[in-house]
Amino acid sequence: MDSEPGDRRVSAGGTATREARDLLPLKILIAGGFGVGKTTLVAALSEVPPLSTEQQMTSLSDGVDDTSIVPEKTTTTVAMDFGRVTVDDSLVLYLFGTPGQSRFWFMWDELARGAVGAVVLVDLRRIDDSFAAIDYFENRGLPFVVALNSFPGTDGVDVDVVRDALAVPARCPIRYVDARDDASCTDVLITLVEHSLTRSA
Amino acid sequence: MTVDRRQRAHADGGRVVPNYAFTAGRTRSTAGTDMPIEALVTATDTGLAKAPGLPPESRAIVEASTVPQSLAEIGALLDVPIGVARVLVSDLAAEDHLAVHLPLVGPDGRPRRELLERLLDGLRAR
Ligand SMILES: Nc1nc2c(ncn2[C@@H]2O[C@H](COP(=O)(O)OP(=O)(O)O)[C@@H](O)[C@H]2O)c(=O)[nH]1
Ligand SMILES: [Mg+2]
Repeated sequence: MDSEPGDRRVSAGGTATREARDLLPLKILIAGGFGVGKTTLVAALSEVPPLSTEQQMTSLSDGVDDTSIVPEKTTTTVAMDFGRVTVDDSLVLYLFGTPGQSRFWFMWDELARGAVGAVVLVDLRRIDDSFAAIDYFENRGLPFVVALNSFPGTDGVDVDVVRDALAVPARCPIRYVDARDDASCTDVLITLVEHSLTRSA
Repeated sequence: MTVDRRQRAHADGGRVVPNYAFTAGRTRSTAGTDMPIEALVTATDTGLAKAPGLPPESRAIVEASTVPQSLAEIGALLDVPIGVARVLVSDLAAEDHLAVHLPLVGPDGRPRRELLERLLDGLRAR
C-alpha cells in the first residue's frame, strides 16, 4: 500500500481512488490581534462558509481578551476559523485564522509547519496588537506579508511609518487590504505566494 | 494531544502510518499524531462499501469524505477537537477505509516550488 521510491503519490492509510490520487493540501495562516479582520478575510475568500475548529491547550488561560477562549478546569479550548479555496484539480488551499497573542504560540508551531506563509493583518488604529505575530514569523523564518486593514479613519497612514513601528524587514511586503473584498484579499494572497517563491530554493 | 495509536501493524506487516517516509528525496510527514490539520482524507472503495456497518461517527467521516475533507473539516463536522478527529481518522486510514493525502514539502520543510507556482497560477485565475 505504500509508494515505491520515486512514486509521486503522497498519501498514507488506505488506497486512494483514482480521482483522489493526486490530491494535495496547502495552508496559509491569517494572523493578527483580536478584531483585526481575520474571520472577515477568511469568509471573503472561502468557497464554503468559514468553519470553526478547536484545539485544546493544557495550561489555564490567563486572559479575557478573546471571546473565543472558553476556560475549563485545566484545559482551554481555542477556536480557530478556517476556510477553503480549491486551487486546481488537485490542490486545495486552507486558510487558518489564528489568535494573535503570544500565549498561543504553542499552537502556531504546529500550524506553521509546512505552511506557504502567513498574512499578518494590522488594524491601523491598534498597530501594536500585531507586533507579536510579526515577531513570531520573523523568528521562525516563515514568509509573511503585512496587510493593513482599511478600517474607517485610517486613510493617509504612511506605510513606512508602519514598517518602522512594527520592525517589518525591508524585504517583507506591506499592502493595504479590505478584508471584506474577495479581490482585495486575493491580491494579498498573490503577494504572499510571490514573496514565498523568492524565498524558495 | 499525546494519543499515540500509530504503531499498530497492518495485516501485510508494513508500517501503516510511519512518522516520516522519504520518497525520492522528499520528506512527507505522515498520519498519526503528526497528521497536520490540513491533511486531506478521501473515502476508499473499501470504506464506502463498509460504511453502513461502521459506528456512527466513523460512518459520518467516510461518507463526508466522498468529497475531499481536511482534518480540520472533519473536526468541525463532528464538533470535536482536532486531536479527537485525528485519532478517528488514523484508525479509519489504518483499516483502509480512508486515504490520507499529506502535504508535499521539500527538505526545508516548506511547500515545494512547483506547488507554490501552481498556487500562484490558481490565485491569478480567480
Ligand atoms: N470597514 C471595515 N471593517 C472590517 C474590515 N475587516 C473586518 N471588519 C469588521 O471588523 C470587525 C472584526 O472583524 P473580524 O473578522 O471578526 O475580526 P477577527 O477577530 O480578527 O476575526 C467585524 O465587525 C468586521 O465586519 C475591513 O476591511 N473594513
Ligand atoms: Mg475571528
